[in-house]
Amino acid sequence: MTINRKKLEDNLMHFVRSRSPRHAAASPRMDLLETGLLDSLLLVDLIFHIEESYGVRFDSDQVNPSNFRTVEDIVAVVLGQLPMPQAQAD
Amino acid sequence: MKWPLVRRPVPQSQVPLYNRFYLYASSASQVDPTLVWGTEIDADALQAFLHERNRNGRIVLTAAHALIRATALALEQFPEINARLVGRRIYAFRDVNIRMAFFHRRNSEMDLLLIENAHLKSLERIGLEIWQRLLQAGRGEGGRDRDLARFRRIPTFWFRRIVRLYGFLDRHFRLPTLGRLDGTRAGCMMVNDLSFSGAPPMRMYKPTRFPDKSDVFNLTLGPMEPKVVARSDQFVSVNVMPLFLRADHRLVDAQQVGRFLGVVRDLLSNPDKLAGGYFESADIDRIVEATRKQK
Repeated sequence: MTINRKKLEDNLMHFVRSRSPRHAAASPRMDLLETGLLDSLLLVDLIFHIEESYGVRFDSDQVNPSNFRTVEDIVAVVLGQLPMPQAQAD
Repeated sequence: MKWPLVRRPVPQSQVPLYNRFYLYASSASQVDPTLVWGTEIDADALQAFLHERNRNGRIVLTAAHALIRATALALEQFPEINARLVGRRIYAFRDVNIRMAFFHRRNSEMDLLLIENAHLKSLERIGLEIWQRLLQAGRGEGGRDRDLARFRRIPTFWFRRIVRLYGFLDRHFRLPTLGRLDGTRAGCMMVNDLSFSGAPPMRMYKPTRFPDKSDVFNLTLGPMEPKVVARSDQFVSVNVMPLFLRADHRLVDAQQVGRFLGVVRDLLSNPDKLAGGYFESADIDRIVEATRKQK
């Protein structure tokens, strides 16, 4: 499976934006924690969406703010956990 | 096997007369000992605190984690609330354990988790344990998840009888907790974080009681909403979150309920007071052991 950064970001943005009308205005660099968009339900759903779609598994100690502050941060963590040949930049 | 309750019940002489009036009422009187008190907390202060902790912290913290720590710290101050009914007797819990309802993603239903000795644990420790359980439940990998799956396979006929028998025993006898399924009985206070995004404003909330009498108290935090209040002769818009406590008049009266809720409200509205506690399990175990020896 080849994962393109842009496609991954679009996929995660779609997942977040479709959550509720309030989430529709989210952007890749928006701070999801400061804006209160990332509650525990969304965070868990997001983790399992990534796990099921890309096979990247998160441990509980990885649920730290620096990994989940923005969609860009999440993309970086996902790409960082994938084997090197699969991760492609734009 | 663990014994969540102390060996001897609270002596009748120490139970206030009015509480005993409810305690000994016959079921024919259809008396309802349920008390509900609702209040609000300053959500701006709590959110600012969580944002600050999430800027530099190692675990994502939410209002649920703050609610658990605040409840545990308040319970430590009000040991008379850390108790439950067994028959018509009141037994104190040995430890300050908090149970929390959460959405079990894999089973698409509610489940419970227990944070043991929550008053000793830092917010980060509480957060880590909750994330661990949420991820474990989502994958169906935990021992409790396997037990739940086995329990689910029991035919309805036997399921009903087991639940009834267990409920009868639990209501009338001081039982130990035997495994992962009944382990969540080891705390008097159940907390509910219903402040999730998209939840409607909460004006009233009366949580149900479990068929057993272990969850004597329920504390529910509702969603944040703006409210105009008067401050220094000016109207200002602030964010508030509703907080509802369901209690039982057989154990406490309205004055105790109000004082307890006041402490939780103060802790959540002034969340710097939630700092402290231990992160490492070894530190927590050492203190629990020392406290048990003292007792």
